[in-house]
Amino acid sequence: MPKVKINDVEVEVPAGTNMIEAAAKVGVEIPHYCYHPNLSIAGNCRMCLVDIVGGRAPDIACNMQARDGLAIRTDTPAVKKMRQSVMEFLLVNHPLDCPICDQSGECRLQDYYMEHGDYDSRGIEEKVSKKKRQDIGDKIVLDAERCVECSRCVRFGDEVTGTGDLRLMNRGDHTEIGMFPGERLEHHYQGNLADICPVGALTNKDFRFQRRVWYLRETASVCGGCATGCNIQVCHQEGEVFRFLPRRNDAVNKSWMCDHGRDQVPEIAGLKRILRSRVNGAVVDVEAALIALAERLKSAKRVGVVLGSRATNEANWGLLQVVRKNLKSARVFVVGGNDPGSVEYADALLVDADKNPNSAGVALLAAYDGQVETSEALGSAMSDLDVLVVLEDDVLGRLGKSAATLVYLGAFKNKSSEHADVVIPVCHSVEMDGSYINRQGRVQRIRRAVNAAGDSLPAWLVMERLGAKLGSAPGTGMVAAAFNAMAKAVPRMAGMDFKALGEAGLLLAADPSQPEGGDARVETSV
Amino acid sequence: MSLPAARKMSSTESVYLVEVVKGLVMTMTHIVKNLFDQDRFRTVEYPDVRKTMTDRYRGAHRLLLRPDGKIKCVACMCCPTICPAKCITIIAGEDPNDPAEKFPVEFDIDMLRCIFCGFCVEACPKDAIRMDTRIYEINAYTRQAMIHNKSYMVNLMDGIKPPAEEFYRLNPDSAPAGFTPDEPSATGSP
Repeated sequence: MPKVKINDVEVEVPAGTNMIEAAAKVGVEIPHYCYHPNLSIAGNCRMCLVDIVGGRAPDIACNMQARDGLAIRTDTPAVKKMRQSVMEFLLVNHPLDCPICDQSGECRLQDYYMEHGDYDSRGIEEKVSKKKRQDIGDKIVLDAERCVECSRCVRFGDEVTGTGDLRLMNRGDHTEIGMFPGERLEHHYQGNLADICPVGALTNKDFRFQRRVWYLRETASVCGGCATGCNIQVCHQEGEVFRFLPRRNDAVNKSWMCDHGRDQVPEIAGLKRILRSRVNGAVVDVEAALIALAERLKSAKRVGVVLGSRATNEANWGLLQVVRKNLKSARVFVVGGNDPGSVEYADALLVDADKNPNSAGVALLAAYDGQVETSEALGSAMSDLDVLVVLEDDVLGRLGKSAATLVYLGAFKNKSSEHADVVIPVCHSVEMDGSYINRQGRVQRIRRAVNAAGDSLPAWLVMERLGAKLGSAPGTGMVAAAFNAMAKAVPRMAGMDFKALGEAGLLLAADPSQPEGGDARVETSV
Repeated sequence: MSLPAARKMSSTESVYLVEVVKGLVMTMTHIVKNLFDQDRFRTVEYPDVRKTMTDRYRGAHRLLLRPDGKIKCVACMCCPTICPAKCITIIAGEDPNDPAEKFPVEFDIDMLRCIFCGFCVEACPKDAIRMDTRIYEINAYTRQAMIHNKSYMVNLMDGIKPPAEEFYRLNPDSAPAGFTPDEPSATGSP
């Protein structure tokens, strides 16, 4: 690997690494607008100009690949002057409407002006005015005046979605970003345009004017919208979630996420949440509902339990433990498919046809247990069952039938919760800790961002309390202990620790029952 | 920490009567002086007479309007951010017919919490909020009424010329840059 020097600090980086990334490794931030790690190099913003030691002229760091002996400096007076001049150049026609701009607080123009600009305005000419507030898609508002023509959005359309919808038009200081006449953004990844725009030219309609970004706190989590398990930041303030942002994980979603994932945000505090426990339609507290549930399970002869492909590993582990320790004759099922009403869209980029975030986790548990039955078996056994306990999945909606007594543990109202005799609310994925396993077999952490809505409890805790009522609890006591107990028992999770999952997650060990290369541990094609 | 020892009284002080007479002489002197020179009075006969506050006095907040009658505030959230008492609540909305795009649907200041530091006025990039009303009687019968809302603060100076504007109109040389006298006086709802 080539060794390069940044401000006299030597660092070894893989061949082909550009100098922005190499400098970041030694803690030197090189300012940039057009460079994005998951897009091609355009080199048109000129903000990352650095001096090459012994070189003829300054060059852009984003297009400078590491080679042995390369030494750059980012702290010379010349570099400082270049950055200041580029800032002045970019701001010549900027409208400076920060008070009404949604990007304020996370705007590169603001940040870099304070850090590298800080000049006195010399502008006496009138600024070039362009078209503001253009409605170019279902999710995006374009303000051409604020644009610095970095072309990130153009490259996103060309390289990631392949739609090629946004274009740079005209010349000189009349250059502006725009769409072809009569065209609108049609793809399902529009939200990313607002994320990659380093300034306020592309802003998100759903988040527009909702909250200033400096109020928001961020929690690293995983999207629960489909089996891809895109890494996200949950942006929230005082118990309210305002937006999901993609979190970079090159092995899963690079820097992107789909709009369906973002559309989950209003559902978190929406009218479809189950807030109170119900027994036979009457609102009761969770304790009473758990007692009622335990009584029904004890008195029933034939009990069926459905593991939740929308629930966390810890919840499913707890449920399996409760059943195997207390209800010897109970049958456990896994129901595939999607809830009715879920988005049917799927593509080769990120959106998976399976809308359950933890199908792989449930499959893993089923393989471990060995006696878990399929949805076909559940369909034919339904009439024999006295009580059916369902975790999150809308079994009634998916299969169209249910047992005599239905028990629903879930976050959202659906057909199953409507017809259930006992309903216990469980937390949404942004309200609890836990882990999902995505379609690659990557175990990823979700983290609690906001407090639980209503009486909701984390599902693994419901299992703990239910187990205590039935006689023997899983005995884990904490979500980390539940995960670690599962990791200890399941061979493919050997050696995993809840705290060691980290931001990027860990891959499961290869499946011994599958032939070489036959399992689903493929990298996504993003 | 020990307290200093009590001072020894002098012989006249220990008699006590002499000191009482001294005090009475002081009181009588002021009574006679005030009788003949009433301008010296420090006391104001409130509420019949009110003190005139200086131009720099930070009174109740008011919200300003643009010449076209719309509210100046664009809900940029600078004032609730800087407010050390966290007494300002703004809900932003979008106005499709206004080039300013953004406006406050609600703008509430909890005057029970406000500490009158004036940071909101300093932070405002649009000169939309000022504390130049010189109003210091901020009171109400309920806590709810102590929360000044948008229309209250817009119409606060109805029929009254805000002192600072009046002053700047008379002394345009000392007016801050960008000051334009609102003619006629800005009234009505935004």
